[in-house]
Formats: sequence, C-alpha cells, structure tokens
Amino acid sequence: MREIFLIARRDYFAYVTAWGFWVSLITAPLLVAAIGFAPVLLSQAEPPRVLTILADHPADAAAAARAIDDAERSDARAVVLGYIAATAPRAQEAALAAFDAAATQREAVAAARDIVAREAPGAAGAFPTPAPRYLLADPPASTPEALNPYLIGERTVMAAGEARPLFGAIVISRNGEGAQVRYWSANLADLSAANRVVRGVGEAMRAEALAALGLSPEEAAAIQALRPTLQQFDPRQGAAAAAVTNADRAPLIVAVVLSFVLWAAVFGVANMLLTSVLEEKSNKILDTLLTSASPLQILIGKLVGVACVSATFFLFWGLLGAGIGALANRISPSNALAEWAVQALTPELAAMFLACFVAGYMMYGAVFLALGSLCETNQEAQTLLGPIFLILTAPILLLGPAFDNPSSPLVAGASWFPPFTPFLMMMRAPAGLSWYEVAGPVALMLATLVLVLWGAARVFHAGVAGQSDAAALRRRLNPFRKRSQKAG
Amino acid sequence: MDALIEARGLTKTYADRRAVEGLTFAVPRGAIYGILGPNGAGKSSTMRMIVGVIAQTSGEVLFDGAPLTRAAQRRIGFLPEERGLYRAMTPRAAIVYFARLKGMKAGAARRRAKALLAEHGLADRGHKRIRTLSKGLAQKVQLLASIAHEPDLMVLDEPFSGLDPVNQQSLEAMIRAHAAAGKTVVFSTHVMEHAERMCDRILLIAKGQMAFEGAVKDALAHAPRSAVIETENGFDLARALAPAGFGVAREIGQGAAARWRVDLSNGDDPKRLLAAAVQAGAPLTAFEPNRVSLHEAFVALVGAPASSLAGGGGDA
Repeated sequence: MREIFLIARRDYFAYVTAWGFWVSLITAPLLVAAIGFAPVLLSQAEPPRVLTILADHPADAAAAARAIDDAERSDARAVVLGYIAATAPRAQEAALAAFDAAATQREAVAAARDIVAREAPGAAGAFPTPAPRYLLADPPASTPEALNPYLIGERTVMAAGEARPLFGAIVISRNGEGAQVRYWSANLADLSAANRVVRGVGEAMRAEALAALGLSPEEAAAIQALRPTLQQFDPRQGAAAAAVTNADRAPLIVAVVLSFVLWAAVFGVANMLLTSVLEEKSNKILDTLLTSASPLQILIGKLVGVACVSATFFLFWGLLGAGIGALANRISPSNALAEWAVQALTPELAAMFLACFVAGYMMYGAVFLALGSLCETNQEAQTLLGPIFLILTAPILLLGPAFDNPSSPLVAGASWFPPFTPFLMMMRAPAGLSWYEVAGPVALMLATLVLVLWGAARVFHAGVAGQSDAAALRRRLNPFRKRSQKAG
Repeated sequence: MDALIEARGLTKTYADRRAVEGLTFAVPRGAIYGILGPNGAGKSSTMRMIVGVIAQTSGEVLFDGAPLTRAAQRRIGFLPEERGLYRAMTPRAAIVYFARLKGMKAGAARRRAKALLAEHGLADRGHKRIRTLSKGLAQKVQLLASIAHEPDLMVLDEPFSGLDPVNQQSLEAMIRAHAAAGKTVVFSTHVMEHAERMCDRILLIAKGQMAFEGAVKDALAHAPRSAVIETENGFDLARALAPAGFGVAREIGQGAAARWRVDLSNGDDPKRLLAAAVQAGAPLTAFEPNRVSLHEAFVALVGAPASSLAGGGGDA
C-alpha cells in the first residue's frame, strides 16, 4: 500500500504542478461555454439576410412579409422566454404578456425587459436583444431575371437604411386556385425563409377559401388557430400521474452529458497514462521502480494517481458550477436553471457516474498502461492501440440511439459488452431499469475489470522488464503466423 | 566465503535468444565486484536478475542466503545502465521519492537528501529542476537517489559511462567509501582500468557464459607476460638470447638502436632475462618488464579482439 500511495502521489503532483494541467482546468469550461454559446454568438454576429418579395397579388406579398415577420417575432419570443424561464421565472407570465401586446418586435423585447427589470432587477442586465435574421427590402426589379445582378452580389439593395447584398428573392405566382413559390438565392442550404413564406401563403389561401364559404376574417382566423394541446405521461408513475415536464426529462439529458463527460475523461486520462508509461520506460525509471515495487503496485499506483487528477478536474468544475449556480441564485433567487440542475443531478445518478468512471477508467487505463509498456515510441503505441481506440469510439455512436430509446435491443445488448458498459449504463440509468438489467452488465463489467487488471499487470511486467514488446505481441496476435511460418 | 549474493545456474532466455546461460558466482559481503564482458555479453541481464527487475528463466539468486524478497530488495540500491529521472522533479524531491520507496520515513529521507546533496557539492542545485542539470550532474543525482537509503548492496550498471574524469574519480571514491563502510558493490564496466583498480573479484562473461570468476590477481595470471628491451650499436638480441631459450622479437629499429619484445608467458622470470642479456653483452639502454593488464587477461580468457571490449554501449 505504501508503494502504491507513493507512486500515486508522485504521479498526481507531477500532473497538477504542470502548467498544462491548469490550462486544461481553466480552458475546458471556457471551451464548453464557447461551444454552448457559439450558435447564439454566431447568429448575432452575422448581419441580417435581406429578402425581397415579387408577387402577382399584393395580398400574397403581404402574407409572405407577415409570415417572415411573425417567424422573426416567434424566434425572438423563444429567446426571451428561454432567458426569463432560466433567470426570472416569476416574471415570466407578465413579461410574455407585455411582449405579445407590443406592436413591433423591438417594442416587444423592450416591454419584456421592463417587466423583468421591475420583478427581478438582477436578471435585467444580461437581457437578450435578439437580432433579426431576415430583413425585407423593396424589390429593386420586377422580374427574377432583372434581380439576378443583386442575387449574385454585383449590386446591392437598400434595407433598414443601408445598402446590403440581396440574400434571396421570393417569387409568388397564382395559377387558378393554386399558388407557386419560387425561391431564388445563391445560398442553397438555407430554405427557412421560403418555408415560412409557403406556410404564410398557405394560411392566406385557406383564409380566402374560408371567406369564400362565407366566414368572417375573425372566424377564419379562429379556425386557422385551432390546435390540440399536447401532454406527455409516464405510465410507470401510474394512471394518476402528472404530465411529464422538462424537469422529468432532466435526468435523461444529464445522463447523456455525463456519459459524454465520462467518455472524454476516460479517453483523456488513458492517454495521460500512456504518455507517462512511455516516458518512464524510455528513460528506465521503471527499472528503478521495479526494485522497490511490484508491477501490480506500479500499475495501480499510476492508475490511482491519474484518477486523482481526474477527481481534481471534476471537483474543480463541480465547485465552479456550484459557485456559478449560487451566484445566479443570488442574483435571481427563483432560478429555474438551478432548480432544474438540482432535480437532474440525483444522488443515484451521481453514484452511477462515480461507479462507471472508476470501472471504465480502470479498465481502459490498465489496458493503455499494459500496451504502452510494450512500446518504445508514441508512434508504436498509437499503432498498437488503434483497435482499442476504435472500441472506445463505438459507445459514442450509441449515445444517440440510447437517448432515443434506452431500452432498445441494440442499446440493451451493447450494454452487456463490458467495454461499453460504463458509458451505456450511465446513459440508461435514469430510464428505470429492472434490477437484473443493472446487476447483470455491472457484474460482468466488474468480472472483466478484475480479469483485465490481472492480465494488464502481467503484460505490464513483461513490457517494463523488456521481456516482451509490441512486435512480439503483434506476432502473437497474427492469425496467419503459424501458416506463414509453415510456408516459410 | 561469506557471500551476500549467490547465483546458481543463472539462465535468462528471451523470446528468440539466450542472453545468459548457467552463470554461477558468489559476491562476498563487503567486496567490490566487477562484471565484465563485451557488448551483448549478458552483463545487464545478469544485473537485472540480481536486483529482481527480471526473473531468471532457470537457476536461482540468493540474497543473504535466501531467495530475493521485497524486503531484501529494499536493501539494494540499483543504478540502471540507461539513466533517467523525472525531468520536472528537483534533485531533492527525486532522492526523497526513491528513498521513501525503499522504506525510509519522510523526515529521514529529506534529511538524508539534504546531506547527500551537500556532501556531493549539489546543495545549491537541490531545488532546481533536473531538466536544467547537465548530464553528468543528473547522473550523479540518480546515483545519490539509488544509495540514499543506505543499501547493503549497490548494483551499478555501467556507472562510469558518460561521466567526465573528475566525476569518475568522485564516483570511484564513493564506491570505495561504500565498501569501506562494509557495504557490497557490484558494478559492470567496459573500462578495464576501473575494474582492475577497484575490484576485489570479477566475473567475465562472453556470449552469456562465464569465462572467468575469481580474484583480479588470478585473472591477471592469465595475461601473457613479456618484457621490452632496448639495445644500441646494432646488437642482435634475438641471436644472443636464443641459447638461453628466450623467444625474442624485434619491435622497432632497423639500424643501430632497436626495441625488442621478449615473451615470458612460459613463466620465465624477468630477473633471469635481465641477467641473461647482461651476460650476453647486450648494450642495454632500457629494460621494462611488462606489467600485465586486465585487458590482456580478458583477451586471453575470452579470445575476443580488443576492439570489442572498448565500447560502452548497450548490453543484453
């Protein structure tokens, strides 16, 4: 135990006193935040896309313009709602009412902000100002052919007081009772504006048809607005269960996130172990260590040391998250995001994460250490570990199907495969599994872990003592070895 | 003989080759013991088996009369041939770390590290990172790390390799001091002068097999003896000494002055040679009985060309 402790402690301090550790510690949350906010920042950084509408009938042009405006407003409302729900849920109802009552989008955002500033002053500072995605410009020409120089960037149009490139032109024509929307744009990927116009013109056409049947515009609008409400229920809660809310779905989402974190952590720290053993083997430090500790003690010491590095990462990030949560809660006491996080991070899920991390890390870490001990260079190690990397990548491909249906035969079957078990059981944990669905794969995983540790210690010993190497292992694993030897 | 280490029939086979075969030797307690051999002879494999880094394929190693255990390993300090330390560590931390792995208490290890660094002129480098030290100083630190726990046995694989003459001298002094304190030292070297100057006993290995094991003076007895005589006035020493039965060969000199080598390997006494030369009226200008070297003994015992002994590279 003493040797394990000393080796683990040395490895731990070797990592945490390196500048790279602190860079990772600080940059990782920043990177996650950047990835999370990147779509929002990018959409705000991009200038609005300018559209123009050519229509046979002014009513169609108006319907199309209204559809785009409505969609813009709806997007802005979603952004404002998301922010208020997370920071000032008590002000949500009044703020949305003010938003909906305002005439223009700018006024709507301002009205909602005023309510939030009054009800939850701390949340008003970062209140979002959604930038418009599309701007409408008067058509600079009357035919699609004449619009071409504008659409290919040779000429600009005036929109919101500035000369801007024309992103797209929507041409609406009538053909008897039908209508056709033709969308011209050099951007072949973004069809969202055209789809909005199709929906808007469709509504206009239905309104016309209803008017022709003698209904007033109000009656037609009421019919257009008819939609059923949707509620989801969980049959496992019984017939009297309340409708499923986002809070109920939270553990599933957190499980996906934790599975990914688990995978990234295992992948990252296993690489740290590999680098460490390669360094120690190349400079013969392992020879010196072997006169003081057994290969198994060295193996476990290194695993424990690097596991503590991971624990430090998790502890720091956990405390950072808790700190940010506490700060947010202080600014806005009824913080829905904090409540959501508390509801999602159940002790069961945390325990499962811990167990899966320990098992997954030990299993892959031991294999990386053992195979690393057979190699002299990083290149040799990467070649030898190629199949292990492939196995380690596979669970990530199953995260999507596992989120969609944690009990699908594919996911359930794969979770019995020990190398996948830590990641997939983490995913499946909140899905309400029966006891044997948890106990079976976990028992198999633990048995495999013991086997892997035993085998890894033997390979590690042979590797560090120079009694075997990567070439010997490849020869041993080559299925054609005997045949080629016979042939030779 | 009170042996600290006994090897009996020590054999090590790797996948495709036999590195060491049937070595049997004993290292007396308190002795300085040298393991010599050409590159690839099996010196490193032998030393690694002695300290328990690798297991022998067959045979046995006894430490203090018993098979090597973890407790016994704590009484050994090992310096591997290819040296390296954690480059980001300080010398003091490295010495403390390895001493603690050998069972020393933290406080004692720290005190010992401080004392060793001061004793070897490294007090001011104790807190610098090892990566900032020269190769020679880093080697010195590693040696200190291997002896910090005051082992009963020091096993040093090519310890002089890579050291400048000053540091070699310092290492020699350290080894002698260790032996003088009653501790045992086993080291391998390709520099015969080191072994000849320092060792009580040696083990000569060639192609994994033992060529000689015993005291240095016994090894020297295997070296061919000779003497060098210089004459003047065009004297023919070969013809003059032929009746006395000496084998004489001219080494240098075609004219008046000449240099001759006389073979004494049949046990002839240099004094008898000198007397015979004087009696033959040889005009002597120099007489040098050749002092035999371990190098020559090695060549005689192993039959290897001298060039194979000079290298200090890797070993099996």
